[in-house]
Amino acid sequence: MQTRVVVSGIGTVTSIGTGCEPFWNNLLAGRCGIAPVGSFDTSSYSVHRGAEVKDFDGKAYVSKLDCDSIGRASQFAIAAARLALADANLDLSMLDPERVGVTIGTTSGEPQMIERFDDAAESGALNTVGPEFMRFYPCHVIAAHVASELDLEGINVTIPAACAAGNYAIAHAFDVLRSGRSDLMLAGGSDSFSRITYTGFARLGAIAPEVCQPFDRNRKGMVPGEGAGILVLEPLERAIARGARIYAEVAGYGLSCDAHHMTAAHPLGPARAMEKALEETCTKPEQISYISAHGTGTPTNDLIETIAVKRVFKDAAYRTPISSIKSMLGHTMGAASAIEAAVCALAIFHSRVPPTMNLQEPDPECDLDYVPNRSREHEVNIAMNNAYAFGGNNASLILRKIEA
Amino acid sequence: MARRVFITGAGVISSLGDSPAKLHTALCEGRAGLRQIELFSTEGLGCHLGGEIASFSPNNYLGERNFRPLDRTSQLVAATAQMALDDSGWTVEMRSQNEVGLVLGTMFCSVHTISQFDRRALVAGPAYASPMDFSNTVINAAAGQTAIWHNLRGVNSTIAAGSVSGLQAIIYATELIRTGRAKAILAGGADELCFESFYGFNRAELLCGSNHSPGDFPIPFDQKRNGFALGEGAALLMLEDAESAAERGAHVLAEISGQGSGFDPSRGADRRKSIATIARAIRLALDDAHVKADEVDCLSMSANGSVQADRNEAEAAALVFGARAGTIPVTAIKSMLGETLGASGAMQTISLVEAVRDRTLPGINRLDTVEENFPLAKASPEKQKLDLSNGLINSIGFDGGCCSMVLTSCA
Amino acid sequence: MAMSAEEIREKIKRSIASITYIDPAKIDDSASYKDDLAIDSLSILEIVVDVEYQFQIRVPEEELSAIRTVSDTVNTVQKYLCAEVV
Repeated sequence: MQTRVVVSGIGTVTSIGTGCEPFWNNLLAGRCGIAPVGSFDTSSYSVHRGAEVKDFDGKAYVSKLDCDSIGRASQFAIAAARLALADANLDLSMLDPERVGVTIGTTSGEPQMIERFDDAAESGALNTVGPEFMRFYPCHVIAAHVASELDLEGINVTIPAACAAGNYAIAHAFDVLRSGRSDLMLAGGSDSFSRITYTGFARLGAIAPEVCQPFDRNRKGMVPGEGAGILVLEPLERAIARGARIYAEVAGYGLSCDAHHMTAAHPLGPARAMEKALEETCTKPEQISYISAHGTGTPTNDLIETIAVKRVFKDAAYRTPISSIKSMLGHTMGAASAIEAAVCALAIFHSRVPPTMNLQEPDPECDLDYVPNRSREHEVNIAMNNAYAFGGNNASLILRKIEA
Repeated sequence: MARRVFITGAGVISSLGDSPAKLHTALCEGRAGLRQIELFSTEGLGCHLGGEIASFSPNNYLGERNFRPLDRTSQLVAATAQMALDDSGWTVEMRSQNEVGLVLGTMFCSVHTISQFDRRALVAGPAYASPMDFSNTVINAAAGQTAIWHNLRGVNSTIAAGSVSGLQAIIYATELIRTGRAKAILAGGADELCFESFYGFNRAELLCGSNHSPGDFPIPFDQKRNGFALGEGAALLMLEDAESAAERGAHVLAEISGQGSGFDPSRGADRRKSIATIARAIRLALDDAHVKADEVDCLSMSANGSVQADRNEAEAAALVFGARAGTIPVTAIKSMLGETLGASGAMQTISLVEAVRDRTLPGINRLDTVEENFPLAKASPEKQKLDLSNGLINSIGFDGGCCSMVLTSCA
Repeated sequence: MAMSAEEIREKIKRSIASITYIDPAKIDDSASYKDDLAIDSLSILEIVVDVEYQFQIRVPEEELSAIRTVSDTVNTVQKYLCAEVV
């Protein structure tokens, strides 16, 4: 009998709320976290807006490690992990630390560290870069810092699968739990705002000047953001035994690779990831109650994604609400699909789906039900979470309601 | 019922050669790939030595094509993948009809590219940042580029676990095959030698010579050791579901029979916890492989010349193997390759596969005198002849992560 | 200092060659990057940015998509080189 894996805790750090409840309420209310970029000077850029997390106090969450030394993505991850554990009403001391693991997805790791290195190198002050660079920069530190802060000794892996990383991390945690190697996994994603990322997307002409409006006829691009999302995942029997509140079950996933182009999407890869997820979970497309879209807001992604959904869902595509929360959070990179997975779990639990904000004028080629501008009550039995990344990494995750 | 996982091909580009056979020959001859670094200037730094690949040219492996979109790390991985695909017999046609995956372990992927991209934007302004270089600043770039190059449409993933990345990637891929999610995956790791990481390790005084002690070479387990040398390279193995491999008549090099991993939350600060964590990973791997401690024929150690880490690993082995620890043949190939970070675990795997084939285990280069009470009496600078049924590979990180894998001969 | 159209053209072709490995001698001035030379969009953008960088000019975003051939590129460079001087 296969172990069933459930979500029993959610922790989020986002530009519209830190902590599951404030975040979920703001999401349903259509709050938007996009504002002028504050963490670096954008005057020489042609765009100036981003979705940064404001007033984040790492010290409120980081106690064992030195908060001032570790990078921002690590701080976010630790905060989200602690929030998720509290949300799960879980006392870690009741668990064998050897059997609690951490899997975190990221795009950039700790970019401020290499940015500081580069600033120093360019100003002839490389000698000011000390041993902390090697200790705190490499991206695997994110999962390592979470485990170090919480004294966890199980499987520890960072999966830098760019914009699909959160789904990859959750998928891996799912597999680890099913293998019986762990009793509990903290899984999700974290990314901090990055000058390098901002510069790159700006140079590709991919950043929207004002708002992120996925699927809208006049959409102009994505908006870089930051944040973290961590789920507490555990076997169903253990959750039941300790009387945990269960949001949803992680039913399965599908991964695919376009093998097509580093930055340009192609519909076949995303369609294949969805098909694999449906196949593995013995789900028919028409049984999916809600899709959390990748929905970055770029002209290409949203079109390709719509084509891919129609390919897989056929007529059912028109009857399945599909929304993009990137319209509110911007693109939180490695954290995005983890936060979106959390949203799927919440949608199942609360029977409500979040909106795609800023959808003013429908695009005739994007003609599905994107839950425009207002959240709605909707019974969600099975949700699908899609994510597509640079390098053609595609991941679809399926979550399911647990029968009472 | 878990499926069995076989290794059906391998490819490697290293400072000691660009094939598993060349690598093995060099290691058995006690040749070190460590020399004065030429890729960048080491002026003003305490260490000047690195395991640099001598004149890498992607054309030699991939034909006359445009490599501009790929940075050096991606080129190394794509070239290595070509060799592993050729060695395992996975043709272009077969790849168009079947999904072959790629799981790559890396510590930095292309920190050099990331830095160059950032620095050009700093100096010239963000309008002049290179769009092509940007696509190589994501840490899954090498895996993505290689998949495009070779039409690898199966699972594509990148694993970052510091210097443990390569073995962790192989383990991740192994589990995907065991659970029936995939039938064929190229798995391994890569990291290139570059100024940014070299500077960082030197500044952290982890490199041999960088802390101003005498001794320029990394000598695992030696009482004179004072750090590791930084190497580079890419190493990939074709992992396949045993039944599928048999169906297509693939030649089998070895079986991956078990794995285990763990994390030390003190990140090295608590010696006893470090040792216990390594020992646990080893035991988990042996249990997983259904191999008893006294059935292990050799140990491929992660030891790279680090003062404390080498000792921790040796003591962990002593905990697991008890009195037998003094009789098991032991090797530490980082003595000759240097610490190749993300590639290291995969290089150790390829080296052990060759050792099975050739019935020879490389020695530990320049090993002269071990410390007092050193438990692994068979650690020697000389190569050893042996018949290998089960070998254990350790990959231990600088800062907490560790994993072990059992390789079983199919002969 | 005015650059001749010929000098500009040669510099542009060298830039294209370094990015696409296409032999400059084989690049026809009126050949479409996308349709005739099969250069993908990322490479075209890389060429345009490299040309801007080499000539130290800035081409407004809205004009970038109109650059389809070597001749278009030469014209654009000339336009903005003069603009820099003025």
